[in-house]
Amino acid sequence: MKARKYLILAILAAGMTACTYDVQPEKLYLSEEGVAELVASDGKLYTINELLDTFMTEEGNYLSDTSLYRTRATNGNGIYLYSIDTLPSTGPGIYIRGRVATDDYGGNFYKALVIQQIVDGKQQCMRLSIDLGSASGMYPRGQELLIRCNGLAIGRYANQPQLCVPSYNNNTNANKAGEKVGWNPGRIPAPLCRKNFKHIGTPDESKLQYDEVTIAECIANYTDIVGARKIDGRLVILKNVWFDGKYNDQKNGPTLCVHYNSETGEGNPEVADSNADVFAPTTNNMGFPQSRCITDASGKWTLVSTSEYAKYAHYYLPYEEIGGKIVYGTYKGTIRGILGYYMDNAGYDPDQAKWAISICDLGDLDLKADGSGNVPAGTPWVPEEWVK
Amino acid sequence: MKKTLFFLLALCGATLSIQAQQNPPTSDQYSSPTRLVGKIVNENGEPVSSYTTVTLGNQNISTTANERGEFTLSYLEAMDEEVIIESEGYLSNIVLVQLLGGQTNDMGTVTLYTDLSRAAQEEVLLNLVEADLNDDEGKSQSVSSASSASQDVFNTTTSFAWSTGRYRNRGYENYYEKNYINGLAFNTAERGTFSFSSMGGLNDASRNKEVVNNIEAANFTFGGIGMSTNYMMDASRYAQGWKVGVAGTNRQYKGRVNATYASGPLNSGWSFIAQIAWRYSPYIDQKGIIGEGISYNSGGYFLSAQKDWQNGHRLSLITFGAPTERGQSGAVTQEVYDLTGSINYNPYWGYCNGKVRNSRIVRSFDPTAIVSYEWQIDPQQKLRAAVGYHYAWYSNSALTFYNAPDPRPDYYRNLPSFLYDGQLNANGQLISIDNTALMNPLGTPDENGYLAEQTYNGNIVGRTMDMATYQTLTDLWKARDNKTTQIDWDALYAANQANNISDPNGSASYMQERRHNDIQEGLLNINYANSKFGHLKITAGLDAKYAQGIHYKSVDDLLGGNQWIDVDPFAERDIKDLATNIGLSQEGIENVKQNDIFHHNLAKKEGDRFGYNYYMNMVQANVWAQNEWTFNEFDLYYALKVAYSSIQRTTTMVNGRAWYLAQINYAEADKYLGQNANDIFSGKELPLYKGFAHHFIDPAFKLGFTYKINGRNRIKFNAIAQTEAPLARDIYISSRVHDRVLNTVYTHDQAKNMAEYYAASQKIVGGDLTYDFNFPVIRGRLTAFYTQFFDGAEMNGYYDDQARTFVNQTLGGINRVHRGVEAAAAVKLGTMFTLTGAVNASDNRYTSNAIAVTSAENGMAFGTKSDGSPILEYTDSIYMNGLRVANGPQLTASLKLSFFHSKMWFADITCTYYDWNYLDIAPSRRMMGLYTGTRADGTTVNGSYRTVSSGVNDQSTINAVMLDEQTGEMILDKFGTPQLMYPYNLMASQESLASTNVWNRFIFDLSVGKLIYLPNRQQLSINLSVSNFTNNTKLRTGGYQQARLPRGNIQGKTEEEGNSVIMPNAWKFPSKYYYAWGTNFYLSLTYKF
Repeated sequence: MKARKYLILAILAAGMTACTYDVQPEKLYLSEEGVAELVASDGKLYTINELLDTFMTEEGNYLSDTSLYRTRATNGNGIYLYSIDTLPSTGPGIYIRGRVATDDYGGNFYKALVIQQIVDGKQQCMRLSIDLGSASGMYPRGQELLIRCNGLAIGRYANQPQLCVPSYNNNTNANKAGEKVGWNPGRIPAPLCRKNFKHIGTPDESKLQYDEVTIAECIANYTDIVGARKIDGRLVILKNVWFDGKYNDQKNGPTLCVHYNSETGEGNPEVADSNADVFAPTTNNMGFPQSRCITDASGKWTLVSTSEYAKYAHYYLPYEEIGGKIVYGTYKGTIRGILGYYMDNAGYDPDQAKWAISICDLGDLDLKADGSGNVPAGTPWVPEEWVK
Repeated sequence: MKKTLFFLLALCGATLSIQAQQNPPTSDQYSSPTRLVGKIVNENGEPVSSYTTVTLGNQNISTTANERGEFTLSYLEAMDEEVIIESEGYLSNIVLVQLLGGQTNDMGTVTLYTDLSRAAQEEVLLNLVEADLNDDEGKSQSVSSASSASQDVFNTTTSFAWSTGRYRNRGYENYYEKNYINGLAFNTAERGTFSFSSMGGLNDASRNKEVVNNIEAANFTFGGIGMSTNYMMDASRYAQGWKVGVAGTNRQYKGRVNATYASGPLNSGWSFIAQIAWRYSPYIDQKGIIGEGISYNSGGYFLSAQKDWQNGHRLSLITFGAPTERGQSGAVTQEVYDLTGSINYNPYWGYCNGKVRNSRIVRSFDPTAIVSYEWQIDPQQKLRAAVGYHYAWYSNSALTFYNAPDPRPDYYRNLPSFLYDGQLNANGQLISIDNTALMNPLGTPDENGYLAEQTYNGNIVGRTMDMATYQTLTDLWKARDNKTTQIDWDALYAANQANNISDPNGSASYMQERRHNDIQEGLLNINYANSKFGHLKITAGLDAKYAQGIHYKSVDDLLGGNQWIDVDPFAERDIKDLATNIGLSQEGIENVKQNDIFHHNLAKKEGDRFGYNYYMNMVQANVWAQNEWTFNEFDLYYALKVAYSSIQRTTTMVNGRAWYLAQINYAEADKYLGQNANDIFSGKELPLYKGFAHHFIDPAFKLGFTYKINGRNRIKFNAIAQTEAPLARDIYISSRVHDRVLNTVYTHDQAKNMAEYYAASQKIVGGDLTYDFNFPVIRGRLTAFYTQFFDGAEMNGYYDDQARTFVNQTLGGINRVHRGVEAAAAVKLGTMFTLTGAVNASDNRYTSNAIAVTSAENGMAFGTKSDGSPILEYTDSIYMNGLRVANGPQLTASLKLSFFHSKMWFADITCTYYDWNYLDIAPSRRMMGLYTGTRADGTTVNGSYRTVSSGVNDQSTINAVMLDEQTGEMILDKFGTPQLMYPYNLMASQESLASTNVWNRFIFDLSVGKLIYLPNRQQLSINLSVSNFTNNTKLRTGGYQQARLPRGNIQGKTEEEGNSVIMPNAWKFPSKYYYAWGTNFYLSLTYKF
């Protein structure tokens, strides 16, 4: 009898044990040795430029009849803004590696990553179009990735090369839908990202390399459209620049944003609601980026591009109120961002400039008062929110 | 209220006056009464102490046996009589006796044999109830209190056999099934339901019970429209001896061991029983089988001690509990079932460092203590009282994420079907020619310019979908790729590891949170029964309960992250829109996203509470009285109850969204912040913030009449009318965030008349008519029932794709009717076989269009009114009239052939048919404004069924609401709901869950068992129960429609101009389904000594 009781108690005690998961961080990502081993056993590691040079064609290999495909997507000079080249799904592994340069916490990089690879001291960058919201939570800035590209595609959207999958845009509710409908580089579904992207080591933002450039270099040095593709995504730092309070009007070029001052009555409140001098007023869900001009001492200007969905979109451009008037350009300094080449013949985009800088958030701006206004020189710019 | 109380007092007064007049027959009146005495024992010769009724078939007289199994029937007519003996857990017995007049007839000892089949089924049923709790997102269908079978043929047949199809008694929700323990009401005050898991594995604890069918008279409670079950756990009710058991199954758990010792009544007057049990399953690392990715670990104890005194006093001390930790599985869409090829696919688990890990781990423990007192004042009077206390820990874990991708493997964008999005034209067909007519889609067009479609995996794949991507995704799902079809735990750890480095003071990207829904209750019950007045038996009772629901979240596992920052990610994301509503200051903006405005951005570590921490304080009290009149030809009873209840929410955290809503509704700030609104606005921090208490008094009245045609045929009629206060879970619009309740509750609080007073209470009127028959060869019943509910309420929450935030939707004014027939008959085929048939056919449907109030949980505006003010909530009518209540099958029928041999062999085979089962619809898809363009409150809908995507190359829209060509009026169905064109009609219609293949509606069950007698009164019983042995994996037992509608935006238009359109992809947010398990078994061995 006793034996039976003890047996029962022993069984009960044995059952009350919890499962533990001894997760070892170092096993969660690849080491350099792991990368080498994996690549050696499975295929070849390409640099980003090698991948583009090897697999990206001018017309794309995706469509059986490229003449049909071409008809809608040129820049007027026979350059096709959209292309898709599929990468072989079988055979040796096609690998690239790069460090994530984007951070979508600020909402300015929606379902897109830009990766940077430093080859011989120079940047090679490429966009990744992915169907992952809040991707930075999984792939934060500074995280290096090893990507197996087999079965994916390389495409160009507005001449921006990107890793993608073919996707058919049938958005009949888009503005001028007829010009947009068709095959485009599409977002890589999340399961394919999880399967093909591997972390190499842990994030290290300090290893991202920024090239210090001037505005003139941005807008003038890369007029070769094919060469420009390889500049797209490059991380740059512009020094001694400022927001001049203008946006690039489609017809009239840089135009001063209308700032409505409720105290002074300056500006038209009706207009101000739609064109307030914030980083990106609403486009009523058209979704295209809004651009704000920056300039430097040489008088050259280029654009800072911001999505209306960015968390900082409704913050005022840096300004001072001097003598009852709104004055721009009193805060000057450094802007770091990702250089983008936007070549789109759709015509709906009011921005004529081909180059724009995309910042991740306002932390990419380091602006200080120059002392020409009321604010003492050297005072850091404090973002101010636009409130209806 | 005064009238009600007066009526109750008058009823009791009438009872007392009747008492004075109705004296029992005396020996003077009947010089030598004819009596029948006897004793009921089980197969071991021990008294059958569970609730045992003894009925004389010809004389309409019945009684119950006492704990020693003894019974006495007096004042009988001398005649040949059939004595029908029925007891819970035993096979019924009919004994023929000759009653001799003027003397006491002793029928001696009658043996009842244990119903081995039922005993085996009870444990299986408890398991089913727990399995039913697997999806606690509020849509899971719970089985009824399935263990509450009584001796009624219909209930004994249906409680087990129909549980597979999730049949519910008369289609009622499970909170209408009232469960008591030694008279104490154990349905929780907050949710109204009973936690069967509190007795998980303790089948002995739940063995002895009284069951009351629906409205019938009860002696332990007033009862209601549903079944009432009283579990009697007094130690003396259990047979003396040891019992040890072991069981194996392929269900939620894989093995079970248990041991019970009962002392039986000792000479000292004490009785004791103790049971321990353990059920276990390791993590199931096998895909496609029942319980994949689930673990189970549950202990259980039951202790009961009882002391009987010679003078009729009895005291019982009872305690039980079943600490349990178990994994869960969830409902998924049909596409996922098809891709994985299994109805057992479970999205909640994945591999973590090579081991199976489930993200949804329930931990529950409901330790209960009861002190029960009983005083047999005299043979006709009994007083029972009990007090009890239980603290129910219940928590469930879930993954949560902050600025990181959704980790759910079955997230709709991860499925191949998402590639269809945007590839359908206005007719719901895959586009075969594109909108530019340039034939960009792949393939060679025909002479009309249309392209042939291609297929993969049996699905038509559009020419505008990349076949390679579709194939890759499909193949990953079909191959059950771990990173695709399961949670990628290692990736979550990697993300947190990366985040620790890139933002060491920031919030972890992923975390496993634990949602606690504890409740503690103190209970009191007093019950007095008096049958000394001849034909009249009076019963009166008092139930009282104080309950406190305790709700909070805690950090369960940071998954390697440094900390979790306690802010609301949705509010943080929407802050821009919130701020522009009212022009918040920077400090105010910072407040909005906080879960506790007095403690900003707290860094939480494992074990810390976060998110919310509120209490639901409830008081309930019922007083009731019942008179039962018993005559030879008929019985009559009537009963009255008055119920008081109160609900008050308190919280230790002031939520930023509550503060924000109070700001923008400043005149009604206290509705959101409660009694301490001024303190909060002035920045005063308090240990506890009190909401407003809401008090309800609700009367109920019921009556019943039984006409005894003869001893074998009876006609019974029961009726009930009552009002019912809302449950705490149903009145708060967002109890996690603020104190606001339904508008009808405010109307009630400030009522000036009866109509207003009962604005928030549901009114129920119902009745049933039963023909009962009980012949030696056949017995059974036929019942017709009709129940009407008025002014019901319901709470829904969902992500609104148009508002792009989480919204709460309260439904009021829900009327419904439940009507149908129940029939069952058991026919004896010789001495060993019984054929039992049972059928339920009902029509349970809504009879009104509900009124819904919708608001964003974070207070975001839905648009702008004509005066420029924001639309913070809107009111609309929901087209519900005529829809079926989704509460299990409404047509169920079964046939069971049972075998029983006196050598204690039993076997049965059951065939059950399920039909008329319907999907739970999403009210958000049936709002009137979607059909008409204008809501009930006059506001305009941005993107209704009248302005769906045209599917052509411009920004025009078309009308999907069917209009009469002649009149231009909407075409309505017979219930007044406008009809929609395909495919939009799929979005709002109520789907039948019945398979189109009739054979898939059948389930076959089998059980077999043997009781072996061993020397020295030892026994070994072996039971095998095989459910669904034909492995029908096509039986849908339930499901629900997702609330989200596929929407798109028209670029360039403002909200005021109508920039939102409903897209034709009716399959984008498809319904989710529950399936009956395939073949499953339960094998048990029990050894008694």
